[in-house]
Amino acid sequence: MLKALLKKQFLETASFFFIGRKSGKKLSKLGVLGILLLLAYATGGVGFMMWELSKTLCAPLVQAGLSWVYFAFVATIATGLGVLGSVFATKSKVYEAKDNDFLLSLPLKPWAVLFSRVLPLYLMTLFFQSLVLLPAFAQYFILVGVQIPLLLCALVVLFALPLGALALCLLLGWLVALVTARIRSKNLLTLLFTTVFLVAYFLIIGKINEYLTFVILHGEAVGQTMKTSLFPLYLAGLACVGDGVGLLGFLAVFGGVFALSYFVLSKTFLRVVTVKRGAKKRVYREKAGKSSSVFFALFKRESTRIFKNLMLLLNGGIGVVLLLILCIVAPFNMELIRQINASPIPKDEVASILVSILCFIASSTVFTASSVSLEGETLWILRSSPVKTEQIFKAKTAFHLAIAFPPALVGAIELCALLKIPALTCLCILLTLFALCFLCAKFGLFVNLKFPNLHWTNEITAVKQSVSTLLATFFGWGASALFVGGWFLFGQGLGIRIYLLLCSLVFASFGVMLYLWERKKGKTVFENL
Amino acid sequence: MLKIENLSKSYGEKKAVDGVSLHIKAGEICAFIGHNGAGKTTTLKACCGILAFEEGEIYIDGVSVRKNPLECKKKIAYIPDNPDLYAFMTGVQYLHFIGDVFEVPVKERKERIAKYAELFNLTADLGELIGAYSHGMKQKLALISALMHTPKLMIMDEPFVGLDPKASHQIKEIMRKMCEEGCAIFFSTHVLEVAEKLCDKVAIIQNGKLVKVGTMDEVKGDSSLETVFLSLEGNDAESAT
Repeated sequence: MLKALLKKQFLETASFFFIGRKSGKKLSKLGVLGILLLLAYATGGVGFMMWELSKTLCAPLVQAGLSWVYFAFVATIATGLGVLGSVFATKSKVYEAKDNDFLLSLPLKPWAVLFSRVLPLYLMTLFFQSLVLLPAFAQYFILVGVQIPLLLCALVVLFALPLGALALCLLLGWLVALVTARIRSKNLLTLLFTTVFLVAYFLIIGKINEYLTFVILHGEAVGQTMKTSLFPLYLAGLACVGDGVGLLGFLAVFGGVFALSYFVLSKTFLRVVTVKRGAKKRVYREKAGKSSSVFFALFKRESTRIFKNLMLLLNGGIGVVLLLILCIVAPFNMELIRQINASPIPKDEVASILVSILCFIASSTVFTASSVSLEGETLWILRSSPVKTEQIFKAKTAFHLAIAFPPALVGAIELCALLKIPALTCLCILLTLFALCFLCAKFGLFVNLKFPNLHWTNEITAVKQSVSTLLATFFGWGASALFVGGWFLFGQGLGIRIYLLLCSLVFASFGVMLYLWERKKGKTVFENL
Repeated sequence: MLKIENLSKSYGEKKAVDGVSLHIKAGEICAFIGHNGAGKTTTLKACCGILAFEEGEIYIDGVSVRKNPLECKKKIAYIPDNPDLYAFMTGVQYLHFIGDVFEVPVKERKERIAKYAELFNLTADLGELIGAYSHGMKQKLALISALMHTPKLMIMDEPFVGLDPKASHQIKEIMRKMCEEGCAIFFSTHVLEVAEKLCDKVAIIQNGKLVKVGTMDEVKGDSSLETVFLSLEGNDAESAT
């Protein structure tokens, strides 16, 4: 029974690597190789980062006789990564698994169903934590030499530490499932988590050296703090350095917490996964409606789609988000702005750097690159309606510009004012940015008509896992890079204003060329989808 | 109202529809029956300008679908077998979107929304996102959107699938009423009893070719539509062996 369940669960996990999500067919060898290479790249990247972090911390703390602080610190990072990496998987694989109802209708014991769900999660958490722990242990053994008792302790910690993270994931996953089932805008919550994660990530990465220096200089104090407020991780630190009592305590706490959470969940599993926690029904009240033109109806449709799913906004409009952050952050960095203004760098150079930055960010907005794919199975509505294909393209382009350009406009005006760039130059900058946004919108549409994906199961995949989005992003960056390259090659000789006008003309010309393609060939492509 | 002349459509090597000709007059209800993969959906999609075709011609109220698709679409309401609607819109937002696209004046659209939503017992759910609708509710919403712009021709692919008995009954009533008002209805179905009771005309398609077409009495004679259909299917199976 358990064997069959585990086999099913591992087949499901393996399908991620071997079965195409779109086609439902086996991936080609090249596809599998691609996924494995991507995984190896991500693993290698995180592993290398952790290797460097351990290298910085290990020697100073070990030589100061604070090996346990080193391991407690590393165990904290590993637990954080394990929880972050597995909490959403716990929510979807344990509490919201599509086959929960089916499995529970079979003559299977709930604890067995739960076990088959938890084991892959344990392995996943183990994998995430190994990325932190293995480099840390390696650095330690390089420094102090390999000792069998310490190696055994390391192995025990390696395999037992995920139990703590898993217990936390089971609790947090349940909470997340409970909250998301009750709230109407699930995407808002996902957006909130993503934003908090991104902000935390940038804050930590930005100050990582500061934090590491602090741990090295105040190892003893950090250790004491961990002892009082993160006691289980303090025990993990002791266990790693071969402290017998610490090891037993660590096993008792981590094993106990996991066993308790597993026991409680297995007793309540049936009730927890089958209870309906639907959101309150929204009562319809008739409102005074007003009619819109066909173009505006199509435009509203595009905006409703994006704003109803904030993840689409985040994925397709990361440039908008970054520009807004830039607008907010810029006035808080007056010292840097004063330094730039006081420096002998010519204003033309300052303006060229500013435009380069704004171009790179603005061109990361790629709404049109997935706008055709997002029609998906609903394409029949437009195809059977008396709507011209040109009107549909116009609405898609207009929506892209309406979202992508205003933050670029505000950012450019604000930074030009702060950096004391002349008004006429600022006007030229705005023209260049608008031309680039127009070009990116048209290229996105072009590339999505060439590579549409109408058969998705989740609309986010139509944006995230899309060739057209990838190509449109690279195209935008490429156009921005050309701007930078052109400036150094011949732009400085022309002066910033003429160079900006020339770039605007080039961007707009290519945009118009794509528009003409769209009217002739693109129209036919769309009508034959 | 609908005139199909020698329509042919291929998917690569496979001829999905082969020389189909059919004429449905205003006020007629025509059932389109055939086994799975016979070419029903392809024909219906070609009629409403969703699918390009290689040979033949289709006229809606005298206007060519090939030459003037937009004009034709203004006269048609199409409901597919599995109406995937915009999950990100609420029911009422979707109806207003269709109202805007078909340029239905606000006063009329509000009256029709109120009337049909009440009829299909969907009023309370109009404020919900379509993503939260069941299949039957989506089917009802698609029907309301179709009825909102008073089409001259209704093209429906399996309209009774997923509907509760009450809604099915109401649709049949509405179909009859629309025909009395001069609308033509062309729909595919596997429910032969419904076709028999409801339709003036029937067309049977097999492997892309129309094998029988005419008024209900002409086609079924003294037997039932099911008997006729099964005997045709039997002949087909025999000729295949």
